[in-house]
Amino acid sequence: MPLVATESLTKRYPGGVTALDDLTVTIEPGIVGLVGANGAGKSTLLRILLGLLPATSGHATVLGFDVRTHATTLRRQVGYMPESDCLPPDETAADLVGHMARLSGLPATAARERAADVLRHVGLYEERYRPIGGHSTGMRQRVKLAQALVHDPRLLLLDEPTNGLDPAGRDEMLALVRRTGTEFGIAVVVASHLLGEIERVCDHLVAIDAGRLIRSAPLTAFTERTGILAVDVEDGAPALAAALLAAGVQATANGRTVLVEATDERPFDLVRDIAADLGLPLVRIEQRRRELEELFR
Amino acid sequence: MTAAPGNIYDLGYRRYEGARLGRAVVALGLLGHTLREAYGIGRGGRAKITPFLLLILNALPALLIVGVQALANQIGAGVPSGPARLADQLPIRHDTYQNVTSTLVLLFCAAQAPELFGRDQRFGVLPLYFSRVLTRVDYALARTGGLFLAVLVVTIVPHLILTVGSLLTAADPLTGLADDLPDVPRYLAVSVLASGLLAGIAAVISAWTPRRAYATATIIGVFIVAPIVVALLSRLAVGDIARIAHLISPTDVVDGLNAAIFGTIAESRAVVTAALPGWIYISVTLVAIAGALALIVRRYLTVAV
Repeated sequence: MPLVATESLTKRYPGGVTALDDLTVTIEPGIVGLVGANGAGKSTLLRILLGLLPATSGHATVLGFDVRTHATTLRRQVGYMPESDCLPPDETAADLVGHMARLSGLPATAARERAADVLRHVGLYEERYRPIGGHSTGMRQRVKLAQALVHDPRLLLLDEPTNGLDPAGRDEMLALVRRTGTEFGIAVVVASHLLGEIERVCDHLVAIDAGRLIRSAPLTAFTERTGILAVDVEDGAPALAAALLAAGVQATANGRTVLVEATDERPFDLVRDIAADLGLPLVRIEQRRRELEELFR
Repeated sequence: MTAAPGNIYDLGYRRYEGARLGRAVVALGLLGHTLREAYGIGRGGRAKITPFLLLILNALPALLIVGVQALANQIGAGVPSGPARLADQLPIRHDTYQNVTSTLVLLFCAAQAPELFGRDQRFGVLPLYFSRVLTRVDYALARTGGLFLAVLVVTIVPHLILTVGSLLTAADPLTGLADDLPDVPRYLAVSVLASGLLAGIAAVISAWTPRRAYATATIIGVFIVAPIVVALLSRLAVGDIARIAHLISPTDVVDGLNAAIFGTIAESRAVVTAALPGWIYISVTLVAIAGALALIVRRYLTVAV
């Protein structure tokens, strides 16, 4: 059963802004990155999946439940970390997370215990008994993650979890997301506009832009080999290119790099032999991979 | 494996296999939570000051009266029971209590409702609520129910003190109870209806006005401005319109309600001169409560999260 499936999902806000435009995508279990620029429709999609926002048209299911008709059932099994500030400053993290556990249906004692467990899991110890108003941004993001995890959901929907964090905080949050997804078997959908971060934690990527699906594929497919060899030489790049062309292989010199088209094994040997014949100082031969950023160019 | 005392072990994440409660139980939980929040329970000490101060001030006249009765009994001045008993001759009785302390009940609403309804909106907590078990309507009803119960506690505690006082200060507890018993269903009815009306109005204003100070000012404003509007209308209008004009003032409606249920003469001149039948006040209260609930639900169905 897919984690999330949408069919021609469209959301138009009053005033004519189209946030989602006929989006059809199926997301399989795992750690899934939902990438797109700001305003691409990531937050709108997550909110529709939770039933927080009605879709204008189209159809969506989460964990097999229809978003329109079974919202309360599916929300029991989903944890949501919103992008926006959502923490009352006068409450302690322990109280808030415990309260949220009860709102997810946990009995009072279990709610308190789970809140303590989960706050420790996200790395909040003594701070959890102090009002959230005095917490740093890093601690607040952890509290937001804790409240999403407290009822032990099957699926986590995280909206920009590293927002406002410094590099060290980002690393810790991403490690936490990765651990949650791999060690505890909770499926995760992480929305982010930072590709560099997403590719560190996700197995699968869903790229959207202007509310439309650009591509949904395993991370490896996004960065697959391109069939281009990049050959770096200290000097003599034009000579190398000319020799390769003479041998019937497409090659172009670009500064100290020669880009060689490699559809089979032959160019590897050719490059080696020509470099040896011409006495070129060969630095490296590398198979070019597609850059993730190329998606959005 | 032996654990050294004082070491902290990371138990990591654990799955939860325990019970998960149904929607109705969760909604009742939020209602109870709201009731506790209204009295600052589970909050810092400062949050308790206003609600408990108002609760105690509101009950003070009842405590004083019980004290006076006990004192009168001791010095032999108390009339033990029956229609001539002392309790009925004092100015503070079940049938007059609503008028004695209605301002304090109103202040309680103005102080606590904006906190209960505005906080979740102001700090953006609603997405956390609405992404869990409860629907938006459940949330609206649970919050409103909690405020209603909190206000009901304020209005009913003085009556309970009077009843218990009547039991304790009578020569014989059974006659004391018999003297007070006829009033019990009446004050229950008045307290429930009046609390429903005042809490309903305060909740509507608070739900639509997330900024706390504005909400408090608006609630107090409504209760102050309404009687002024009534006075103006009664000057300008004639006939039936003048008679029913005072129904827009919540305090007059509560007064009329109280007089109708206890069968006494109302305190407010507007209510007395209108001479409307008692059922009108009860109907107006019920309609106002239903309208308030509809507006509160509408707010939470439409508010963007």
